[in-house]
Amino acid sequence: MADIIPLANSATSSSQPCKLHPQSMCPAFGSLRVLTRIEGSHPVMATDTGCLYGLTFVTHFYGASKSILAPQLGTAELMSGQVVEGTRAAIEVAAKEPGVRLIPVVSLCVAETAGMPEELLPRKIGDAEVVLVRVPAYAIHSHPEAKDIAVAALLNRLAEREGPVNEKSVVLLGEVFPADPLLIDAVLRRMGVTETIFLPGRSLDDFRRAGRAGALAPLHPFYKESMNVARTWGMPVVGGAPVGISGTYAWLKSLGSILGLDPVLVQQVADEEREKATALVAARPLSGKVMVTGYEGTELAYARMLVEAGAEVPYVSTSIGQDPLVLPDELWLKAHGTKEVIYRKALEEDIAAIDRYTPDLVFGTTPLASAAKERGIPAMYFTNQLASRPFFLMGGMAATIDFVASVLTKGDKYRWMQEFFAE
Amino acid sequence: MPPVVIRDLSDTSGYWAAIWTMCPMPDVHVICDAPVGCFNLVGTAVPDYTDAIPHIENLTPATMTEQEVGGKGTADKVKWTYENLAATGVLDNKHVIVVSTAESEMIGSDHSSLVRQLGVGTRFYYSNSLAEDEWAGRDRVLRWLWSEYGEPHAGAIATIPTAVNIIGPTYGCFNAPSELAEITRMIEGAGGTINMVYPYATTLSETPRLAAAAVNVVLYKEFGTGLANDLGKPVLYSPFGMQDSVTFVRQLGQLLGTSDKAEAFIRNEKRTTLQAVWDLWRGPQGDWFSSLDIGIVAGLSHAEGLAHYLGDELGMKVSFASARPRRAGDYDNEAIRQHIHKRAPSFIFGTMNERIYLRESGAKYTNFIPAGFPGPGVRRAVGTPYMGYRGCVYLVQEIMNRLYDGLLNFLPVDGAYANQRNATPAAPASDSNQGNLPWNSDARAILDKELEKLPYLPRISASRQLQMIIEGIARQRNAPEVTVELVELGLAQNRQG
Repeated sequence: MADIIPLANSATSSSQPCKLHPQSMCPAFGSLRVLTRIEGSHPVMATDTGCLYGLTFVTHFYGASKSILAPQLGTAELMSGQVVEGTRAAIEVAAKEPGVRLIPVVSLCVAETAGMPEELLPRKIGDAEVVLVRVPAYAIHSHPEAKDIAVAALLNRLAEREGPVNEKSVVLLGEVFPADPLLIDAVLRRMGVTETIFLPGRSLDDFRRAGRAGALAPLHPFYKESMNVARTWGMPVVGGAPVGISGTYAWLKSLGSILGLDPVLVQQVADEEREKATALVAARPLSGKVMVTGYEGTELAYARMLVEAGAEVPYVSTSIGQDPLVLPDELWLKAHGTKEVIYRKALEEDIAAIDRYTPDLVFGTTPLASAAKERGIPAMYFTNQLASRPFFLMGGMAATIDFVASVLTKGDKYRWMQEFFAE
Repeated sequence: MPPVVIRDLSDTSGYWAAIWTMCPMPDVHVICDAPVGCFNLVGTAVPDYTDAIPHIENLTPATMTEQEVGGKGTADKVKWTYENLAATGVLDNKHVIVVSTAESEMIGSDHSSLVRQLGVGTRFYYSNSLAEDEWAGRDRVLRWLWSEYGEPHAGAIATIPTAVNIIGPTYGCFNAPSELAEITRMIEGAGGTINMVYPYATTLSETPRLAAAAVNVVLYKEFGTGLANDLGKPVLYSPFGMQDSVTFVRQLGQLLGTSDKAEAFIRNEKRTTLQAVWDLWRGPQGDWFSSLDIGIVAGLSHAEGLAHYLGDELGMKVSFASARPRRAGDYDNEAIRQHIHKRAPSFIFGTMNERIYLRESGAKYTNFIPAGFPGPGVRRAVGTPYMGYRGCVYLVQEIMNRLYDGLLNFLPVDGAYANQRNATPAAPASDSNQGNLPWNSDARAILDKELEKLPYLPRISASRQLQMIIEGIARQRNAPEVTVELVELGLAQNRQG
């Protein structure tokens, strides 16, 4: 193979280790999480039983308590071209659910390999939209990117472009902690924004309304397809995110300028937010060496916030690929002491980094966090512990850095536990 | 044949069966011919919640991308993965097995020749994942392990007269640590010694030693009979309930020639462990049993065992029992869902799916007790068996404590506290007319019909609670009497609350 990466051995420990164990939730899960949480949405999954079992399991735990339908696709059905027929049958069943308004058809590895021609699926059944979402794991690579594909598919189908554009409204894109939209909405309204629409959420109508917003602001850096949809509409896109001190300031200014808000008012709000965040960091600075690695696609933004709060973050890794959207954060981090930023990371790279940087705290996937704990280093699952707290603006920054500060004090517990079980 | 539509799949595939059967053995390393998702779900995301382990360490994917699916095939990727893994040293002294997945089977990957070019002893296992479910899959992989790694080297191994194998668990078997601990205790109580617990607590290299046992105990009826038959020794299945536990120990004693010890154990268990069941039966707790109805969805062993013990022995009414794999006539999830929506029993022993159906129907008076997968749970303590003597005690203990919980939750709290918390308007403490609003007869009939659907025990407190909610709404609207419309509003509010 042309792209074989040479194997590192102990004699050349500075070279990158081999990427043997990729770290991502099954990519398709990202789309299922988004699609099952929408009210009135009754998903149909087209896939083999092993895949169906695993994805249903994690979706029922992390997505929604929502029944999931699927055509039976075994050897017989796949080889005799009955994928579409079965999928149509499952759509018929889904269409009988009370209050059904959306039937997302999530097409996965084996169905995509066998072939799932969109034109053979209904576009509508009764009052429900049928929307095909293609997320084969072999082609998507990470679960954040599958969220984007689901959102883009829904925007393409549902967004209403007819009627007047609400110039002072903005679509905010990204799964966030429930308190974040309230905080962001309040600050934006003070700047003169008249409406915020947070996607993806529980409401299908939000996808419809999104078509007439004044701008689209992805809060996370992997909504490429969704941004492309906005661009085809001629809807401006706001880069960056309201994260940390400098990030929030720049984002508020940029959003104000793109929406044509009163510059004096925008400046005033941006200054206030910056002052509050600066005061917060001055009052409760972080100190310690933290590794930020996860598979949510938001790792660089978290790292940036922690560095602004005073932490040293020598190493950041993520499951998403390198992209212009993350470049500003990467450049900022590298200008502020981060030595490595790894995309499409593997477990081997993250473990080598633990040994290279001897951090005081590690955020990562469950296999990585357990590797850190085996070394007596405080470590937590990024997804459950960081990505599930308020994050944006000063309020989010306070919640996140207070949490990180408290974990940084727990080092002796982790060392004690490691020593206890080492005996 | 019309297409089959699956609702909330309960059984996974032959690929999962292969990984979860092979990987508990530390001298195995599996390379799965898989896209990233098939690696992550089987190796990390799900065993976190079924087995409470951080991840499966001896599993590596030959990560499949568009290139491989698009015509290149996966052989180069498997070889690359093997060579780079070997270079790290993790394959030293390991048996390496390459396992197919649904997607690799879909694109026709067959590595039976390729593995011969890899390290000596590397084998290819075709998991038949597009056709086999996890139960058939586990059964077949166990037989394959014996035929590949055991039988050819077992010729000189003599049978040890009191040695017993336990076949199962693998990863992803419900309540495995506790079931295993209880069955182990019972085998030893009957005079046996544990030869091997396969594959859960052994190494692949030791596989030939399976031949040394005089009796094989299959822990889960769902799989393992194939291997037990291949071994050619008497086979027993782990018991549920009091009578079957007695029979199990008695038969084991006869087979091992340790009947005296077995009979003494049976007598002693009745006086010690099972005394709790006798005490509960004689006490006020046992009086409830005959008024409880239960629904069961679980693996075959647990479904049959729970129905037998709770239904046949303790006299509870079994509304339905659906096994995985399903027996002829067992409800599928569609039928289970409809049954629960229509009338949820007072207890459901089930999986995450039944929890969803309960939530959909607002059946908050039903007690849910986990009895199978899928569903997240930590069950690593060994004191919560459903099988054997201790299982008899644990199950009634669990049921009674849930009943007590229910009573404590439904006993009235003084309404003033509820108002302080700005809680439901259902309990207006200041209102002295509570319960005194007239009901028109249609409204009464709807409430009665709704109450009829509830399990017997919580019906009394639910009746009071619903009445209060509905009358609260009526008073808010200054209604002179309770009407059908108000009852329906109240019921909807109660379902959401």
